[in-house]
Amino acid sequence: MPGKTKSRCADAEEVADTTMEDAPTSAQQPSDGMQEDQSGNNEEEDEKDEEEVEPQRVRILPGSSNTAASFEFLKEGHTMGNALRYIIMKNPDVEFCAYTIPHPSEDKMNIRIQTYDTTTASAALAKGLQDLEDLCDVVTDEFWTKRHDFMASK
Amino acid sequence: MAPSAGKKRAPPTAEEIDERNMVGVNKETVTNTTSNDYPDNYANEEHAWDKDDFRRSFKVQWHDNQQFEAQFSLIGIDASIANAFRRILIAEIPTLAIETVFVNNNTSVIQDEVLAHRLGLIPFTGSKKVICDVMGFWQKPAEGEDTWSTTFDTNTVGLSLKAKCTHNKDAPQDSKDPKVLYHNAHIYAKDITFDPLGGQSEWFTEDDKIRPVNPDILIAKLRPGQELDIEMHMHKGYGWDHSKYSPVATASYRLMPTIKITQPILGEDAKKFVQCFMPGVAGVEKVTRQEARTPDSGYEGHEGELKVVVKDAMRDTVSREVLRHPEFEGKVKLGRRRDHFIFSIESSGQWDSDELFLEAVKTMKRKCSVLKPQVTNMVYTF
Amino acid sequence: MSREAYQVPTASGNNSAPGGGTNLSRTFDTEGVTMNYICGDCGFKFPLRRQDNIRCQECGCRILYKERTKRMVQFEAR
Repeated sequence: MPGKTKSRCADAEEVADTTMEDAPTSAQQPSDGMQEDQSGNNEEEDEKDEEEVEPQRVRILPGSSNTAASFEFLKEGHTMGNALRYIIMKNPDVEFCAYTIPHPSEDKMNIRIQTYDTTTASAALAKGLQDLEDLCDVVTDEFWTKRHDFMASK
Repeated sequence: MAPSAGKKRAPPTAEEIDERNMVGVNKETVTNTTSNDYPDNYANEEHAWDKDDFRRSFKVQWHDNQQFEAQFSLIGIDASIANAFRRILIAEIPTLAIETVFVNNNTSVIQDEVLAHRLGLIPFTGSKKVICDVMGFWQKPAEGEDTWSTTFDTNTVGLSLKAKCTHNKDAPQDSKDPKVLYHNAHIYAKDITFDPLGGQSEWFTEDDKIRPVNPDILIAKLRPGQELDIEMHMHKGYGWDHSKYSPVATASYRLMPTIKITQPILGEDAKKFVQCFMPGVAGVEKVTRQEARTPDSGYEGHEGELKVVVKDAMRDTVSREVLRHPEFEGKVKLGRRRDHFIFSIESSGQWDSDELFLEAVKTMKRKCSVLKPQVTNMVYTF
Repeated sequence: MSREAYQVPTASGNNSAPGGGTNLSRTFDTEGVTMNYICGDCGFKFPLRRQDNIRCQECGCRILYKERTKRMVQFEAR
């Protein structure tokens, strides 16, 4: 009996796999060696010396070109999605930018970026991250100086 | 992209910008709700991200700053960014909370699992420095590993709660209060004791000991003969895992309300108008001689009469009551400023409220700097 | 009572398990298997054997509770 169920299981998987080809990209298994693979391949020493080896959480989805690409972020949500979308849309070289969470029970967030010929989608994404960092610096400075002023005025 | 042919459009006036940032709150609808400060949205206006421009336009105003409650305004920021900060405050700043409960004895009427859940939700505090810098995250031991192989003084805080309820022999005969009749009838958060592990006795000195933020949280009620003997382990965790780890009781924002009086409202109407708002939002004043002499002000010949003035729009709840009355139709415009966020942060005790926001901004920056090299390292599949 | 000492009662009745109902002379030795009970009224703790009256030895209350396990029980505070 166990043997039988097992083989049936395998069949089911195969069937599922073939139909998966047509599934939305986010449901596909990552084809490049990202996520666990990456960290697993790294020598064990790596893990020891600061155990903060961040697994690769960003990948570019198939079907992307230089100026029009979709990026998949693992373990990110609306927090980074919407903030990044805003700051990337602020880039004049970007024609279109949007983010989505394809399925609520998958911890994934996709960002679509289409740019003019003056830049590439991944450069726009990198600039977005940099701009967001700069924004954080400005907010921190202003927030803390105004806090000091407020406490002093009391 | 290319500058449009013909004469250049003049840069927007302050009034124009104000109007753009105003969300209209009407009787049945809201209007002008989405941000439009993007490139190409207005001819001859850049609107590209610029750090220096942002530094010039971004303002913070403080309204209140107490240890466990802070209110401040962020002005000149987009909703997506303000919302990111709010979300990070709630779910992405770690705190210590009771995670595992070891029940040696519990003969009280409250069930073990309910008791464990109650204990988990109690906010604790202690040396901020040690909690932030020394304490790390506890990890579940791998399959086959010893249960305690991952438990260290740098990631676990031990607590215990031992109490037994007994009769109070000295209680007055006519007493009915269980707290007088019995010893330990009520068990409070203050009855939880901190058991330092390893180096913790040095890190958490007298005033910085791990302790409940509020000592008077009722945990259980006992009757004579009932007993509690519990040990607990606290771990660090994130709000996205369980709300007991959230550093805030509430973290929210609202948009700054605006009330614009477009035509004078006088006399009895003025009094009624004021009644439509929360106290302190609107008030009445006498029309001055100067106003009464100004042509087209709407106040001509009304010197000394009562008129409506907006005192403090920030206190408005935007109930829209005023829009229900026909006598005010066309005389008042309600709205909200789209780039003015009034934040309110209530800390649950482990952090100070103002620090929390700073930490949220720092967390967002860290998230960006973690992702940045990953974008560069991305494997290209096309 | 150790786990090994316990035998599942069967209908055939020719073994000595408690509850088998036959052959009382060979029921298992209850002398060692005393169970502590707690009076629901006065809180008095006392041992009872199988054939004893279900009654508090102090106050005569007929509601008795079993003791809680002495083992530690672990819970997640969630």
